[in-house]
Amino acid sequence: MGLIELDAVSRRYEVGGGVVTALESVDLAIGAGEFIVVLGPSGSGKTTLLNLIGALDSPSSGTIIIDGKRISEAGTSELFRFRRETVSFIFQTFNLFPGLTALENVQFGVDVSGRHVDHDRARSTLAEVGLGDRIHHFPQQLSGGEQQRVAIARALATGNPIMLADEPTGELDFRTGIQILELLHAQAHRGITVLIVTHNREIARVADRVIELSSGHIVADGPPAGGHVAVDQLRW
Amino acid sequence: MLWLRWSLRDLRARWVQVCAIAFIIAIGTGIYAGLSSTSQWRQVSYDASYEKLDMYDLHVALSTGSYVSATELEDVARAIPHARWVQAAEPRLLVPTQVDASAAGKTILVPGRLVGVDVAHGGPHVNRVSATAGRTLATRDAGTRHMVLDAHFAKQHHLPSRGVVRVSGGTTLHYVGLGLSPEYFMILGERGTVLADASFAAMFVPLATAQHVAGQPGAANDLVMTLKPGANVAVVRRELRQALRERFPTVGTTINGPNGDTAHRLMYDDIKGDQQLYDIFAVLILAGAAFAAFNLAGRIVEAQRREIGIGMALGVPRRSLAIRPLLVGSEIALLGVVFGVAIGLGVGVVMGSVLRGFFPLPVWRVPFQAGTFARAAAIGFALPVLAAAIPVWRAVRVAPIEAIRTGFVSAKGGGLAPLLARLPLPGRTTAQMPLRNVLRAPRRTLMTTLGIAAAIVVLIGVIGMVDSFLATIDRGERELTKTSPRRLLVTLDSFYPVTAPQVTAIEHSPLVRRGEPILQLPGTLHRGATNIDTFVDLVDLRSGTWRPTIEHRVDARGPGIVLSEIAARDLGVHPGDTVILRHPRRNGLVSYELVRSRVTVLGVNPLPLRAAAFMDFRDASLMNLAGITNTVVVDPARRTSSDAVKRGLFGTPGVASVQPITAYTDTVRQQLRSALGILRVVEAAVLLLALLIAFNSASINADERAREEATMFAFGLRVRTVLRIATVESLVIGLFATALGLGVGWLLLDWLVTGLLPQTYPDLGIVTAVSTGTWIIATTLGVVAVTVAPLFTVRKLRRMDVPSTLRVME
Repeated sequence: MGLIELDAVSRRYEVGGGVVTALESVDLAIGAGEFIVVLGPSGSGKTTLLNLIGALDSPSSGTIIIDGKRISEAGTSELFRFRRETVSFIFQTFNLFPGLTALENVQFGVDVSGRHVDHDRARSTLAEVGLGDRIHHFPQQLSGGEQQRVAIARALATGNPIMLADEPTGELDFRTGIQILELLHAQAHRGITVLIVTHNREIARVADRVIELSSGHIVADGPPAGGHVAVDQLRW
Repeated sequence: MLWLRWSLRDLRARWVQVCAIAFIIAIGTGIYAGLSSTSQWRQVSYDASYEKLDMYDLHVALSTGSYVSATELEDVARAIPHARWVQAAEPRLLVPTQVDASAAGKTILVPGRLVGVDVAHGGPHVNRVSATAGRTLATRDAGTRHMVLDAHFAKQHHLPSRGVVRVSGGTTLHYVGLGLSPEYFMILGERGTVLADASFAAMFVPLATAQHVAGQPGAANDLVMTLKPGANVAVVRRELRQALRERFPTVGTTINGPNGDTAHRLMYDDIKGDQQLYDIFAVLILAGAAFAAFNLAGRIVEAQRREIGIGMALGVPRRSLAIRPLLVGSEIALLGVVFGVAIGLGVGVVMGSVLRGFFPLPVWRVPFQAGTFARAAAIGFALPVLAAAIPVWRAVRVAPIEAIRTGFVSAKGGGLAPLLARLPLPGRTTAQMPLRNVLRAPRRTLMTTLGIAAAIVVLIGVIGMVDSFLATIDRGERELTKTSPRRLLVTLDSFYPVTAPQVTAIEHSPLVRRGEPILQLPGTLHRGATNIDTFVDLVDLRSGTWRPTIEHRVDARGPGIVLSEIAARDLGVHPGDTVILRHPRRNGLVSYELVRSRVTVLGVNPLPLRAAAFMDFRDASLMNLAGITNTVVVDPARRTSSDAVKRGLFGTPGVASVQPITAYTDTVRQQLRSALGILRVVEAAVLLLALLIAFNSASINADERAREEATMFAFGLRVRTVLRIATVESLVIGLFATALGLGVGWLLLDWLVTGLLPQTYPDLGIVTAVSTGTWIIATTLGVVAVTVAPLFTVRKLRRMDVPSTLRVME
């Protein structure tokens, strides 16, 4: 049984009087510690898939079971708890809290998870992502790469088993993007399931598994075409 | 048209915030227009009322206790060289008396005045009496016991339009109606104190009836005159003074025009004073509106930042780019003005009704004040337009590349939040966020704080005025009651030797434990160019029952006087200095002349009435009144109530009135408390204002921080937690704003009380005071209203499309 299981999941939206199907009968199973890249052009349904797994959205039909919880039928309160305890997000534009320092942004992750961890967890996580000397800086005082590292540290600090990243390198230059991918890859090695949504095919080369979407359907699911490569071999 | 259509869409997208701002502006402009209209109404209504009832042009008052023949007094006026300028001249007899208007088990015993007027040929023709209920006096009433009762007094005691009252000496009078007369449009107490509607009864009686009640057949002590158009008042006054001196050489007289009438002066001065208050309050409310409008305009412009940048990149001139946000400002302004006119009309209707109740006049005119409304509309329109212009000006000056930049590099900075970077704040990050957020948008925080503070300032200013009046009354009452709280003043109908049977009968009444004869005399204090009307109590300054507090006391060889603090200040004298006292001096049995004496200031007394002054009873020789009294201060016997003493002494020969020492303060306190009902309206308006300003700010915050809130939701924070963060942030702003509002409110109040009120009420030494209740109300309104404001955004939070919001790239 996988950590993430989707069974015949569909998501349809009503737009301008018509119905748009974002995902259609998707079946998917993801195990713990997998490093997965979801590929697809704009409108293929990859962000919808991420939102459904992250319980930010609910399916129109089908079943989603994550970590043994049937979230497709969960109530609002359960969904909030699920997000606090099971998944953590990394966004393209980082979405750090500008009023909090780097350390406090990470501490936010610790606080919301509600897990009893040592009080230096935020500090050590920041050091882990290489920002031990920037802990009192505010987001606007950090570079894009540093901000995304803070965002990753925030997600890590929750201690949640699933990390969902939506175009995490989209705002970054190549070199910084590589650093971020290395960081995310390292988390998968620690047993955290990492799911990255991107339209950048080059990133897919470092994944354990690539899920390709087109018009709401999974059109490919397997190891990267051309074989897995190390992060430092990527070029874009 | 494109810009207009586009701006209307902007407006629609933020219609709730737009309406909130429009209402804030409307409250400011509406209150300004509504209240300012009342100044115009009062001015025209006062003028029309005085004209309708033929207010005198000249008034001759004989010194206290003096009487002359009514016919002779009229003849003097008719015989002056320019007698052809005299329209009408009517002698009157004013008689102080006690009034018993008790009815239906309710004891109503107050001092009053019989105003004996000539009713011949449809008179009086000067200072007419207009009936508000029943009828006025007619020629057929001459010599009867018919009279017209002052409408203010009747209203306060809910008396019917016809009835019976008893006056001193046991005389019964039948009032045939309730009426108004110019000198009594505002009711002043015996010592010129205001708000005496319930504690003083003016009664208009035929002259012969007044003469009969006073035991002064054919006598008068007062003359009122109207002059023909074009008459030279100064010349008539001079000729009249000369003629009076020649005809009545031993009688002191005072001649005044309408401005010499305290009620007349107060009524007009009050308009100016009130208008100043309205202006101040309107400015404060409009300032609150301006701050709020600035916040919204800033946010709208910020939201259009990229579009403005794209426009600049496409080569659109800056002035064209400024049109859209400025149009939004104008549209908000227009909406505010429309709402404002409606609120102004509403305020006008309420105030019109309040004014009619407070100042019953024979003529009330409340026309629509187009000019005032136009002025208010212009201010209300200009404010949001100006508020929008500043952020627009800043936005169009940004380099296009800056404006169109997207993603994290365009994200706004942390404002002043870095100031707290090293400050360890207690609690979890969600508990620290509110304070950080307060500092993140310092301009908006400041504008919101100032807006709410302005509302609190208005509240403290308005209610603090009443508190100050009440505190002043309390202060006076403490001085009056300190050693003998139950004593009563028994005013005699004339001057009597202290050994006269009328006096000893009072002193030996079984209702009285102890009696002390004193003298109460009007006078004027002079020092340099300053003249102050005063009312001197000649009492035993060493009395064991009660004696006035004398601060900074000095000894004097000759006659000395104790002045009120305010009189000493206005005269610029200190204990040990001398002042000139113009006072009556007995000159025969029933005539008094006015003379000037130099007296030493013995010290100052804390009574807040400028007219209050005290001399030693033994200095009565200065007035040629040694051993004479016109008032007896009595202490009720044990287990005897004040009412029992009043009833018991009423009707005793020689007694004009019996009043507890606290009668006046009790009445004023009661009237002020009834006025508090009106102030609840102000409280509600201020609450609404603070709420709207806070809501506006909270709503803008919610808009601007939507992505942060979506991030919190993505991390599993509940709506109530996010709402708590916003609420605590508002609470912090509310606390700052309230503290600022309370501080500035106190300063404003102090300025109003010590700077503005003395111009209208120079005779009152009002102390600045804010009651604990008012502090609590203001704090509660400020803090609670502001704190709950974010709760109004709960719907927006609940309906947030989290995935879409997270992906929004500003």
